[in-house]
Amino acid sequence: MAERYAISKVNVPEGAAVPELVKMKMEKEEKLAEEKKQALAAKQKAREEERAKLKERTVAYEKEYADTAAELVKLRREAKLNGNFFVEPEAKLIFVVRIAGIMKMSPKPRKVLQLLRLKQLHNGVFLKVNKPTLNMLKLVQPYVTYGYPSLKTVRELIYKRGFGKVSKQRIPLSSNDIISDALGKHGIHGMEDIIHEIYTVGPNFKQVSNFLWPFKLSSPKGGFVNKRHGYCEARGGDWGNREELINELLGRMN
Amino acid sequence: MATARPVVSIYNFENPSEKTGTMPMPVVLQSPLRPDLVREVHRDMAKNKRQAYAVKPKAGYDTAAESWCTGRAVARIPRAPGGGTHRAGQAAFGNQARGGGMFNPTTIWRRWHRRVNVTKKRHAVACALAASALPPLVMARGHKINQVAELPLVVSDGIQSLTKTKQAKEALKKLGCGEELQKVIDSKSIRAGQGKARNRRYVKRLGPLVIYNEDNGITRAMRNIPGVECAHVDRLNLLRLAPGGSFGRFVIFTEGAFKKLSDIYGTLKSGAPKKKGYTLPRAAMANADLARIINSTEVQSVLRPKMERYTHGIKRNALKSKELMEELNPGSTERRAVQLKSSQKGTPEYDEVQKKKKARIEESKKYNKEHKKGDETFYKTLMKAFEAKAAADAAKKAAEKADDEEDEE
Repeated sequence: MAERYAISKVNVPEGAAVPELVKMKMEKEEKLAEEKKQALAAKQKAREEERAKLKERTVAYEKEYADTAAELVKLRREAKLNGNFFVEPEAKLIFVVRIAGIMKMSPKPRKVLQLLRLKQLHNGVFLKVNKPTLNMLKLVQPYVTYGYPSLKTVRELIYKRGFGKVSKQRIPLSSNDIISDALGKHGIHGMEDIIHEIYTVGPNFKQVSNFLWPFKLSSPKGGFVNKRHGYCEARGGDWGNREELINELLGRMN
Repeated sequence: MATARPVVSIYNFENPSEKTGTMPMPVVLQSPLRPDLVREVHRDMAKNKRQAYAVKPKAGYDTAAESWCTGRAVARIPRAPGGGTHRAGQAAFGNQARGGGMFNPTTIWRRWHRRVNVTKKRHAVACALAASALPPLVMARGHKINQVAELPLVVSDGIQSLTKTKQAKEALKKLGCGEELQKVIDSKSIRAGQGKARNRRYVKRLGPLVIYNEDNGITRAMRNIPGVECAHVDRLNLLRLAPGGSFGRFVIFTEGAFKKLSDIYGTLKSGAPKKKGYTLPRAAMANADLARIINSTEVQSVLRPKMERYTHGIKRNALKSKELMEELNPGSTERRAVQLKSSQKGTPEYDEVQKKKKARIEESKKYNKEHKKGDETFYKTLMKAFEAKAAADAAKKAAEKADDEEDEE
């Protein structure tokens, strides 16, 4: 807190008689300036420590991602070798994008979209996959498109369009301090921590996902196929679950 | 006003350069200044001297006019009856008709007068008196007081006994009011507006107001001097103390009158002896010096320090800005550099990658040599799927051929 003291410089011309109140103010400001200097030094030290730790964690995360990917490859190969079928792990993470506008929305899907924080066209949120969320998505199928984002997509979304909810305001994630202040108590102190928590759907996924303001995406460059129809229909469409292919769409919307 | 009362000098009316004595300022002259109150009370008090005006009650209706109704190719407005004169058949009564009554005729029972609460009136007078003791306010009102020795201007009681206008004028001039009196004379001009034809031809500025205690001729001496007005201290009129609702009239007190102010108004503690149940107005704030209050140690010691505001600036994209990426993801630049090196020939990272690649290819070859032999090769396993069908086709053909031969036979 002391780092943010606003110190005002009192300009006293040479040789002028200093009024009593001005003198009091000068003494007060001096003391605050001293406190501020100390606090800034302490903050700097803490910041360096924090950054070193974050760096270690990031390296560990990258290893973790590479390891999990390699593990999957190994298992697939093993299955093929033994003539078995490898059952791909079900997705844990979903990214949902609102496709429909706000006009003429039935009350039930409208409420569900509100609950999912998809209040605007092309808003996107990360969701955990479980029974309740899947059932909610079922209710709003024709108004959203969703799928399983890749690590690259998650990173790009958070770096480019990541904003946090700080005292009910939408604040850009321009510094790790913002993240640390909001999510520090859950052990999340930086961008890479957020990305890890989201991608691996960790124990604090809810807090992190809620901290992230719903992503405001652009309309996709190259367009939609047909928003009125489902992705899986033969004639081509856009709403519903498009599994891995959400990444292609998000690449055009981000 | 917790300060001690200042002392006011009394000037000898015959020789105003000498002072005959001093007196403490009455508490009345230290009342809080309330221009809003004075304006409001003046506005309402000024309405009380009005004379009613209205149109005649019958104005415009003193005909026996009646509408001709429809069917006569004229408008339905009431028309004057009869014949033999221009007036017959002419429109009457309506405000649009010539000779008709006005819309909403003015009435004498309009509420001309306003009552003002007594306390309010008294407070207003106290304010106006206080303002008259402050040079900037008096000057702002337009009085020329540069030559006046002191405000409030208190003159010895001798001035109350003057009988000749000439003497009175001399006395005022010696007191420094010459410029003021001249201003009044110079300002005489013909009134703008109809008032000039209604016995209010000339207007001029107001000069000093002389407040006396005992009239031994002063009113008659002063009354012909243009601009000068006299008032008895017991009967002070707000309309004279704050003409037009603006306080700060130039007031000249006589010694007796000045003393009597304290007797009439008293102090905040004692109340006003001569005005039953009345106490002078109190200021809303005892200490109105905000700067001093805010900067006092009592206030400053319980305030938290002023903080810088959070500024977020324009959001930059970390995927584009290497600087921002390093800030958000410490170590990313060096990791990226290492990664890039692995595609540059000659670097140890590149060699590392190539080694891994080679090892992988070796593995694959070894595996294939071991497992994919003979019938396990890709082609063979592929064709095996067709073998069954090929055999089935061949069998079918053979069967057909056999049937054909049978048929032939």
